[in-house]
Amino acid sequence: MSEAEFVKVKYRLSEQVAQPGGMTAGLASDRAQRELAAHAGDAMKSLGHMIGRLEVMCREKTAALDTVYEEGSTILDIAGVFNKRVLCDACYSLCELVDRQRTHNRADWASIGVHVNAMRMLWSKDDADPATMKSVVDGLWAITDRLNP
Amino acid sequence: MALDPKIRINLDRSRVLLVDDNPQALEALNSMFRGFGVRKQFKCGSGAEAMHVVKTQEVDLIVIDSSMPDMDGYDFVQWLRREAPDVSKFTPVIMLAGHAARSMVEKSRDSGANFVVSKPFTPEILLQRVFWVAKDERQMVVAQGYVGPDRRFKNMGPPLGIKGRRKDDLSANVGAATAPNLDQSDIDMLMKPSKVQL
Repeated sequence: MSEAEFVKVKYRLSEQVAQPGGMTAGLASDRAQRELAAHAGDAMKSLGHMIGRLEVMCREKTAALDTVYEEGSTILDIAGVFNKRVLCDACYSLCELVDRQRTHNRADWASIGVHVNAMRMLWSKDDADPATMKSVVDGLWAITDRLNP
Repeated sequence: MALDPKIRINLDRSRVLLVDDNPQALEALNSMFRGFGVRKQFKCGSGAEAMHVVKTQEVDLIVIDSSMPDMDGYDFVQWLRREAPDVSKFTPVIMLAGHAARSMVEKSRDSGANFVVSKPFTPEILLQRVFWVAKDERQMVVAQGYVGPDRRFKNMGPPLGIKGRRKDDLSANVGAATAPNLDQSDIDMLMKPSKVQL
């Protein structure tokens, strides 16, 4: 096996961030938060549609686990960028559950359904206190952890 | 460790490549970087599009989602580090990660990204990671099985001006002298062994 080579790299980004001008980190974060807020409404609507698709899958019980995982992963993708922490935690539990189920090659629609119902509830109560909602997520993880990784 | 809100950061001239297959997430990332003051952004919805941008444009930072159909973020970074044009090979990469499926754990570890940001995240966290990347002094390792930043832990001490958690934590930055320099005879005394009469 050939030996590893070490390369010292100087990033252009390092020089750019230190240039005079720019703005404070606090101001940059605030501006980004404001820009992001403009998209939050549309994002919530999309999340609602995606949860709806998961609800249909749970009713029909015919979808492949990979499809459920993909849908869950997309919800995590969008909710994650908008910092919807509790919804993300619930969705992470769903993805983990489905990943474990496909490892064991066994679909359990009841446990997936509990997750999807909880996600619908968390989505509709977006402004609720995260601490209160944490117990719901803890319950979801208790279901997921019943199945070994 | 939170980023000091008073630190100045200038991203005016930075060219950032954003890659996410989800148009809404891509638009949200675009908004965040606009808020950070980045003027030139390339938005790509797939790894293939991003490869084209890397081959034809100079970019200073790549922010990519880990999970995408066809070519995921990990595959893209592996391509970047090994097969991209030399000028772009070591471009810093921030990977945005959702759920880590069991089959992806090794791939993620060996991809060669500078930092992984797990979802959910706030603009503040993302800005902090951009700042970390800019200050990242790790060497790049080029080996048969891995190309990317050196992943070995190294004790650099706490950052300048921040008190360490342990009483013997010392910053790697020694700072300016606080006492006069030693003269040559003092240095000689430290270096040369002297005969001692007992």
